[in-house]
Amino acid sequence: MKIIYVEQDRCLACRNCERVCSFQRAGGFRQENTNIWVHIDLDARSIFTMTCLQCESAICMEVCPATALQRNPETKAVTVNEHQCVGCKMCIAACPFGCLHFENLRQVAVKCDLCDGDPACVKTCMAGALHYADINELAQRKRRKIDLKLSKHPFFLQGLFPK
Amino acid sequence: MKVATNASTKILPTLCRMCETRCAINVHLKDDVIVNITPFKNHPVNRGRMCPRGIAAIDLFYHPERILKPLKKMPDGRFQEISREQAIDEIADQLQSIKAGHGARCVGVWKGEGAGFYQQEDYARRFVHAFGSPNYFSNDSACYNGRYLGHSLVTGFWNPFPDFSVADLILLFGTNPPICHPPFMREFADAKEKGAKLVVIDPRLNPVACYADVFAQPYPGTDGALCWGLIRHLIETKNYDTQLVEQYVVGFEKIAAYAQRFTPEYVEKQSGIYAGVVEEIGQLIIKNRPRISFFAGAGLEHHENGVNNIRALAILGCLAGTLGLKSGLFWPEEMGGRKLTLYDQISLESEGPIGADKFPALYDLRKECHSMTAMDYMLGKGAYPLKAMVVTAANPAVTNPNTTKVIEALSALDLLVVNDFFLTPTAKLAHYVLPAATFLERSEIHYFPNKQIVNLTAKIQHIPGVENEYRLWHDLAHRLGFGEKYFPWNSEADVNRWILEPTDITLEELARHPEGLVYKPIRYQKFKNQLVPTPSGKLEFASSYLKNLGLSEIPEYIPPYHIRCAKENYPFVLTTGARKSLFYHSRHQNIPRFRTIHPEAFVEMHPDDAAQLNIQHNEMVRVSSEIGTLDIRVCIRHRSELRKGVIEIYHGWEQWPVNLLTYDALNDPISGFPLLKGVPVRIDKIDASTSAEHQPDAACTT
Repeated sequence: MKIIYVEQDRCLACRNCERVCSFQRAGGFRQENTNIWVHIDLDARSIFTMTCLQCESAICMEVCPATALQRNPETKAVTVNEHQCVGCKMCIAACPFGCLHFENLRQVAVKCDLCDGDPACVKTCMAGALHYADINELAQRKRRKIDLKLSKHPFFLQGLFPK
Repeated sequence: MKVATNASTKILPTLCRMCETRCAINVHLKDDVIVNITPFKNHPVNRGRMCPRGIAAIDLFYHPERILKPLKKMPDGRFQEISREQAIDEIADQLQSIKAGHGARCVGVWKGEGAGFYQQEDYARRFVHAFGSPNYFSNDSACYNGRYLGHSLVTGFWNPFPDFSVADLILLFGTNPPICHPPFMREFADAKEKGAKLVVIDPRLNPVACYADVFAQPYPGTDGALCWGLIRHLIETKNYDTQLVEQYVVGFEKIAAYAQRFTPEYVEKQSGIYAGVVEEIGQLIIKNRPRISFFAGAGLEHHENGVNNIRALAILGCLAGTLGLKSGLFWPEEMGGRKLTLYDQISLESEGPIGADKFPALYDLRKECHSMTAMDYMLGKGAYPLKAMVVTAANPAVTNPNTTKVIEALSALDLLVVNDFFLTPTAKLAHYVLPAATFLERSEIHYFPNKQIVNLTAKIQHIPGVENEYRLWHDLAHRLGFGEKYFPWNSEADVNRWILEPTDITLEELARHPEGLVYKPIRYQKFKNQLVPTPSGKLEFASSYLKNLGLSEIPEYIPPYHIRCAKENYPFVLTTGARKSLFYHSRHQNIPRFRTIHPEAFVEMHPDDAAQLNIQHNEMVRVSSEIGTLDIRVCIRHRSELRKGVIEIYHGWEQWPVNLLTYDALNDPISGFPLLKGVPVRIDKIDASTSAEHQPDAACTT
């Protein structure tokens, strides 16, 4: 299964992903239409970017009383069937990551659908912080990166970490 | 379900030129209609990714407001469509009669950013020179030249972009790469992944500062003090490249003596950066040298002391031993193709290039005339009158300082021809407006000097009646009688072939390589075997060339105007030109989806300043400087974004031209750059009735 993975320490907050996402969905560059969010905390000088993780057991899907949320058999993305959505916002309340939003005009919940397997945000991420890849591959990538960091850690150099 | 159609589809790779980064793109055509633009996979610049500007090239190309027919201004002030033949004939006739009546030098050519650089620039230079006038102007007068001169005066060359990905320490001065150089982001992230540190020095806290390990917020125009403070730190602690200094440098003693006074405390007093932070940055440089990337953005050059600040930075780079390294001051080589410019063939220096008397270094090193002085010549206050100007894809009525004077000067011309995509404020002043071609309508050779790569772009579309830059100069030259001699080529392909002839790369080979061809293998640290191209052949920490011109030999730090001549009436410091995402100077504002992010202009200020003046968010205020006034809404920013007393207005708005406030006559003595960042201003409330109206849609974003 492929998901969008954000490599947080590569994000420079250019916000291009937000813009192309909203454009993909709603034809304009409006932040309220995006399904990927770049949080910039100027006090802490920190950046955090978040988008739907396409959870294996997706709580948004489970709580939906109208069964409007379904898994796309091809891309394995959890998608909203807007004809079925009743606008109860249960999914939005249930998602532990806050990765759905509500569109007031049409009264439907909206979330990342992986652009049918070709996510626009990934193509525009010039920092290389966004990846669209198999989940196992991403986990390995993450592990390799941590191992590389640890290999330079003073504790490791002194032999204090197990090999 | 996919519907099968008979439409023929093809994908053509080329380079994007929605900004100067020039990423490789694929243009998708369906029955000769551009339907999509996607990133090209294998180009080393953007590596298969593309920013939202790229796809907006479709919006630019098919924009409903695009000019498609030549326009002539009628006596009643309205524009009337005429044929291209008539337009070119009439323009050529008028240029000829001005040449006969006043001399060729009374005609100038102004090439703008919208047209591009390299080949487009050289066409314009070739044309005006062949015509007999030395007066070539460009947007470089207020962007780029300062950094070029600052580096060239020290090392003799300038590589605009070091390779950040292999650096151990990156220092960014006055730049916002996520917006103006998107591919840098990958290089920063690659470097940081390997453990590099990032230091950002900027009067504004941009998101890139959130990514940095150290962020320092100086007052505008005081970067020179910091550079000198760091030079002092390296010399005092004897942590500099001594071998380099002994063998390849002139003037080290002079700068060592001058650096004495820049103690961390003095730097703190000048720039507002804490003494401890100055020392911390100094320690980082010592720890990580020589693999350090120093990068100066346009933020450093838009001052009346800019070139010296940049020279100090270049010296710092040399002392840290970054010269000739991939991550540092790399010396790029040229491809060795033929040059379109005619400077070797015809010397017009005796014709009195405009501004060459005031800023000789600018003409000597860049062969470029000073566009701010040109306004005086247009108004009849120069050594000779400037009567006619051919402007291509430039918008000085918005982007040049002192807008009031620029408009007055352009209106005083006998002939103003503007070649542009849209009816810009400059085009509205013109006698003739010609429809310009976008980058999708021409084939040209592009260079990436830092990677020593050459690329050929593809001509993807042609709109009947809309001709590209080459056609414009070619047709004018033929009507004026020097076409056979100087523009003999029938097509752009012939020009490109002629340029490539002395090299071993053929046009066909180049066309087969949309990922670019390395034209020469990269060699590092060339200065060890070959003299650097300065007058002395050494690195000039003290420049005898400048001394002979009566300028300071070493890059002395001059406190910026707002500190040197502080005025009670103008308590705030205005900086202009901080980048707004997706806009490119005065371009792209008419692309609707971009405009949803930035619906209108704001003066951005610190919450304490607003509270002190009793100004609310979104309120209309009047900003005044010694030059002029501008009415604009207030956007109160986060308290760490700007320093107290510093305000910011974006520079490219047509409706809110901030250049009404900027100085055209307070220039850098070397480059002639105007004072654009660091203008003393005052903010006044406008009476309550006008400010009461509230605009709900005005969330200001960077």
